[in-house]
Amino acid sequence: MLARIAHELYWIGRYVARADDTARMLDGLFRASLQAPGGPGTARLPWETVMTALGARPDPDEAPVSASEAVRSLTLDADSPASVTACVARARDGAKRVRDVVSREMWQTLNTLYLELDTSDLGSALRTGPYSVYAFVRERCALWWGLADETMLRDQAYAFLAAGRHAEGASMMLRMLRVSIVPSLALVDESGSSAEGPAPALLQAIGGLEAFRRSVPGPADAYPVAKFLLFEPTYPHSVAAALELVHGRLRDADPSYRTAAPLLRLARLRAELEFHRGGPPQDGGEGLASLLEHVQRELSEADAEIERRYFSGAAAQPHVVTA
Amino acid sequence: MPDRDSAGLMAQLVGDSREYAPAPGFVDELFADTGVPRKHAANLVTTLDGMGRVVLTELGHRRDEIFRQQGITFAISDPSGAPHERPFPLDLVPRIIPADEWELIERGLAQRLAALNAFLDDVYHGREIVREGIVPWELVLGSPEFRRAVHGVRPPGGIYFHVAGCDLVRDADGGWRVLEDNLRTPSGISYVLENRLAMTRLCPELFTGYRVRPVDHYPQLLLGALRDIAPAPGREPTVVVWTPGPANSAYFEHSFLARQMGVELVEASDLVVRDDICYMRTTEGLSRVDAIYRRLDDDFIDPLEFRPDSLLGVPGLIRAYRAGTVALANAVGTGVADDKAVYRYVPEMISYYLGEKPLLENVQTYLLREPEQLDAVLDRLDGVVVKPTDQSGGKGVFIGPRASDAELARQRELVLRDPSLWIAQELVCLSTTPTVTESGALVPRHVDLRPFAVCGAEFRIIPGGLTRVALREGSMIVNSSRGGGSKDTWVLDAAGPHVAEVEDVAARELPDMPTLEQATWTGQEQQQQQQQQHGSGRAGGDG
Repeated sequence: MLARIAHELYWIGRYVARADDTARMLDGLFRASLQAPGGPGTARLPWETVMTALGARPDPDEAPVSASEAVRSLTLDADSPASVTACVARARDGAKRVRDVVSREMWQTLNTLYLELDTSDLGSALRTGPYSVYAFVRERCALWWGLADETMLRDQAYAFLAAGRHAEGASMMLRMLRVSIVPSLALVDESGSSAEGPAPALLQAIGGLEAFRRSVPGPADAYPVAKFLLFEPTYPHSVAAALELVHGRLRDADPSYRTAAPLLRLARLRAELEFHRGGPPQDGGEGLASLLEHVQRELSEADAEIERRYFSGAAAQPHVVTA
Repeated sequence: MPDRDSAGLMAQLVGDSREYAPAPGFVDELFADTGVPRKHAANLVTTLDGMGRVVLTELGHRRDEIFRQQGITFAISDPSGAPHERPFPLDLVPRIIPADEWELIERGLAQRLAALNAFLDDVYHGREIVREGIVPWELVLGSPEFRRAVHGVRPPGGIYFHVAGCDLVRDADGGWRVLEDNLRTPSGISYVLENRLAMTRLCPELFTGYRVRPVDHYPQLLLGALRDIAPAPGREPTVVVWTPGPANSAYFEHSFLARQMGVELVEASDLVVRDDICYMRTTEGLSRVDAIYRRLDDDFIDPLEFRPDSLLGVPGLIRAYRAGTVALANAVGTGVADDKAVYRYVPEMISYYLGEKPLLENVQTYLLREPEQLDAVLDRLDGVVVKPTDQSGGKGVFIGPRASDAELARQRELVLRDPSLWIAQELVCLSTTPTVTESGALVPRHVDLRPFAVCGAEFRIIPGGLTRVALREGSMIVNSSRGGGSKDTWVLDAAGPHVAEVEDVAARELPDMPTLEQATWTGQEQQQQQQQQHGSGRAGGDG
């Protein structure tokens, strides 16, 4: 297929996933911020940290950022690549350019989401209750993915859309783990439990608490949560599972996948994670921190390789005359 | 005289709080006097005034819609007797308990539960308290809830009830009284969690200026307590929640707790006992069960020991329990301690077992099985509340001051037929709290409070609990099966802002969020390089 279309689809996948993830996080974190921290697992992430993790760049002079300001900027800021509305607008722009490739129902889903966010008074909706805004975004995103599964051919178009989605998921999860779990490992006491850590709050915010409970019998302490979110193969949002999915979709799309640089890198990364699956090193967070950093570096390398291998033709703007 | 519409408009302009008048003779939780909020309620009242009737009414509709969508409903019978589902009635005005008051409740309940647990241990072992003549033997050995089958069985850690809920009320003097203990299968905790979730979603602005203690760690505390009692040395214990089935009125709560704890929700047909070991039937064959949080009464759990006609039970379960291969929560036989007649003796238990003075008082209670007390009560039947000892959920409760002459005569006859089935209590003047009517106005309605405790190595009380509210004017019957509603209950955090915040180190090391533009840029750069290479290789090619 056309490199330009593949590129567009990959990024639609990323932006829809990012809007979805960000909406989920904001809903969970905002709700937690209404109550006093107390009881196990309620230590709080400062909003500046959350903003950095989600990709917005808070002004360091403005710290501390209030909940309402963080929510506003991460939802409404049209210039930031991190805000929900900006992601939706970009995904919809992309979908407009590939309307012939995605199904009519998918386009309509994204378009309705965009129009609804664009025309309603989001500022006041956020003030009175962000929940309804985020619930709407999440529903529409889920509908989009459901329709992709139901209505698209399992061809290269689907493969690149899904690869983008999961690459974004893996990258977002790594960012969240780095800002929330790693610093809290320093708080872990000798018994290995960190009752005050933000691990349960993180799980709740990404909507993974119920999955964690069913999968891991112990309490939601920092180490088991980090292990679950990094390695758990049955949890589709864990880093390992997401990488597996990126790898699988790209393999579907690439006829000569055995020699493809990004696939080789992803396969090696998966194997490395598999190797660590027994659990992250329990050394106060340093081992985990460097592992996360390594995985994230490798992932962005793989991302660059994906760009080079599949989309480099797309970069040529119409006015650039190529040889 | 203004017509109706303009009166409504006036009320909206003036603001409801200034018109809100606490009912005379009762303590109001949020208002000290007409239009004067208590200190801890000032912020809330300001926010409510800012919202006004229209917004409150609108929020009410949204709440019902959300609850119906999420299936947070319960079945009630309409006047024709046909059951129908209605959304769990959550009132939008929260009830606020200041930190110091909660501290007293917390200590008082822990004390009371410790005494009740000691009492149960005594009842199923030496029965010293009966020998000493403090509690009459008929109330213990003669109780239908006394389980001979578990005499001498001491559950792991010596804890008999792992989940308890006590009903508290605030009397006209402002003091807290315990109205009832629930040590069998107290229900309502799921509504505490769902109410909080709904409030944070529906009206987050009400939380402005408050530090409310969270409640959502309850399932984890419960799971921890259940894992602690599971006799599973050297392996991960398997915990299950046992429900009588979807027809049970509290089924929502059973599935809620199983989901929140991440454990299986089982029914009797899923469980089987072989060689005194309890298993559940799974797709991979039988799988051992170590601890069961059961949500059905003793009577039904094992047809071999208790009611032989029980279809909900697991034959042989009590044998396994006695053999110590499976733990039950709550333990078998706890009902003997939450009997309404035994309740009368809890203050004595506290001083007998703990040597302490009760921190939370009982309501003055008369046992009608005692002839002198019966005579005294019958003389003033129109001044007391009479309750059957073997009922729950507000069934059969007779409120003297509200009764007609015919009802008085009928109740007298009922009591005289078998006085030992009844107790009488002084009327408690339940406190009121502002509650939203259908039209969005604030009116005083009576409330009680059911805090929930998880009991293991220590007695942990979840901050707040279920506040039940009588939605009819003047009514003091708060049971949800009889038209009561509920409120989110806020316990305020005493400590200053000691937020345990995580350092912001890693965040600064994060790479920028990738975007389409950046990606295009790398591609472009690479392409340009290629172009240059190609260009230099094929200089002067096509033209």
